[in-house]
Amino acid sequence: MSGAVYGGDEVGALVFDIGHNSVRAGYAGEDSPKADIPTTVGVWLDSEDEVSVPVTHYNIGLCAIHVWRPEMELNTFLKDGMIENWDMFENFLDYIYYSALKAVPRDHPVLLTEPPWITSPKREEMAELMFEKYGVPAAYLAKNASLAAFANGRPTCLVVDSGATHTSAVPVHDGYVLTQAVVKSPVGGDYLSEQCRIFLQEKGIELVPPSFVASKEVGRPEESPNWQRRDVPYNLTDSWFTYMIKEVMQDFQATILQVSDSTYDEEIVKTMPTTHYEFPNGFHKDFSVERFKIPEPLFNPTTGAKAGIQPILGVGSLVTTSVGMCDIDIRPAMYGNVVVTGGNSSLQGFTERLNRDLAAKTPPSMRLKVISAPGTVERRFGAWTGGSILSSLGSFQQMWVSKQEYEEGGKAIIQTKCY
Amino acid sequence: MASGVTVSDACKTTYEEIKKDKKHRYVIFYIKDERQIDVEVIGARDEEYEQFLTNLQAGGAGECRYGLYDFEYTHQCQGTSEASKKQKLFLMSWCPDTAKVKKKMLYSSSFDALKKSLVGVQKYIQATDLSEASQEAVEEKLRATDRQ
Ligand SMILES: Nc1ncnc2c1ncn2[C@@H]1O[C@H](COP(=O)(O)OP(=O)(O)OP(=O)(O)O)[C@@H](O)[C@H]1O
Ligand SMILES: [Mg+2]
Repeated sequence: MSGAVYGGDEVGALVFDIGHNSVRAGYAGEDSPKADIPTTVGVWLDSEDEVSVPVTHYNIGLCAIHVWRPEMELNTFLKDGMIENWDMFENFLDYIYYSALKAVPRDHPVLLTEPPWITSPKREEMAELMFEKYGVPAAYLAKNASLAAFANGRPTCLVVDSGATHTSAVPVHDGYVLTQAVVKSPVGGDYLSEQCRIFLQEKGIELVPPSFVASKEVGRPEESPNWQRRDVPYNLTDSWFTYMIKEVMQDFQATILQVSDSTYDEEIVKTMPTTHYEFPNGFHKDFSVERFKIPEPLFNPTTGAKAGIQPILGVGSLVTTSVGMCDIDIRPAMYGNVVVTGGNSSLQGFTERLNRDLAAKTPPSMRLKVISAPGTVERRFGAWTGGSILSSLGSFQQMWVSKQEYEEGGKAIIQTKCY
Repeated sequence: MASGVTVSDACKTTYEEIKKDKKHRYVIFYIKDERQIDVEVIGARDEEYEQFLTNLQAGGAGECRYGLYDFEYTHQCQGTSEASKKQKLFLMSWCPDTAKVKKKMLYSSSFDALKKSLVGVQKYIQATDLSEASQEAVEEKLRATDRQ
């Protein structure tokens, strides 16, 4: 082995899985990430006095973004799964290293996940940041879909990832993403949160952040809520308020929503059990048909969603379109190994409906098998856990891009070693 | 993306003994110390498919393995009464859904290395349960390549 190969077996690697809802960070070899940090960051300006240039401050982490800081906007450094605002991301990395993990960057090789549609310039910029600013001894960039494929024991499969901001169908062959056949839709958990919010507001149900409630008396179902509002600063921003309501909606959707077994039919759905939900201000009621109606456009876009981003392809069509773009020889392996992952796939009935929709569309000669990890945690942390295991293998030491290789080969080395 | 696990010379030698010399019926491979793929069991020429399956699963429901098999079946030539005997080599990855994530990760991220070092295999099979690893399923997959 040449001296360029990173040989630091003794020091544990770190693994960062970057998503729009949260960033999962922790030590390689462990079962789950030490930290699960909201990707949303608080941004505010401050100046010493009237005349000096204002300084940008970032509030990072679950607690810091919840504080009532007047004029603090909530924002993100990600766009389409890729880093858009590098300054904000650097502050976020500082938070991961120095606050969440209390780790020194130059002590640990780092494995970062990336989306299947990552561009070369974004990868090189990431390599540059990690080696030059943080001085990491070694780094690796891994496609999240490949990690999910391996963690499910299937180097060849079709990964369906439904996260916060998108749902994608990603063919993986021998561990490599077939980039030209990736199909994605800008609809995921955030879309459902937004649909829930619109629905509830149209019903006249008041949505408030839990931190606004000083006290409440829970009355009878559907009775006007009786609650006391805390003395909240008047100048909290709209972006802050919107995020706080999204959190309430995320809980609502995980508790209430269910994907109908087959195409939504109001007559059938009416006979299904209702589900009870209590809002932060104490208002509570049963929900029935809307439980099924709200998520239906995810699978069947023609059912008319309300305002905002609209789905064009249902999840089943994402899969069939993607498989249709794959080489004919590997299509049976794709249908035979559909791996479902991502937090939004934990929606009740998601996998069952996908299975049913695909069964109706799969050519009869092909065997269909839809696989998903049993729990929400496994689906949200699937890529992180895959990266954790892979980067802790003894054999993986030769796969890292070492600092020396980076210095000798330049940032393009990341394209040749991580693919 | 791959694990960096390598393939031992014994794997290649045993493979050649099956491919060229028809010395054995099958071979089971395992990953030693998370670093190298090595030979675990060699199946004699007269062993049955069932013995291959038993050895493939000898580690229990939580384990993964690879298997290479020299498979024989008869092929009925279309429009004639003649039947010909066919022999095909397949390489299987065995990662049951019941296996530990760590094993699934290790074996599935190393399969490509094994595929690349055993040149001349006619069919690759990714099996995660017995319905995919059974003799019938394998035969069906091998026959499918005849019709082309
Ligand atoms: N039990 C659950 N039921 C329904 N939805 C859930 C559940 N748990 C999480 N979610 C939703 O899953 C989404 C987060 O999923 P995930 O962590 O996979 O996203 P991400 O990887 O951060 O985002 P992206 O993939 O868009 O970059 C959120 O929209 C959340 O509301
Ligand atoms: Mg994701």
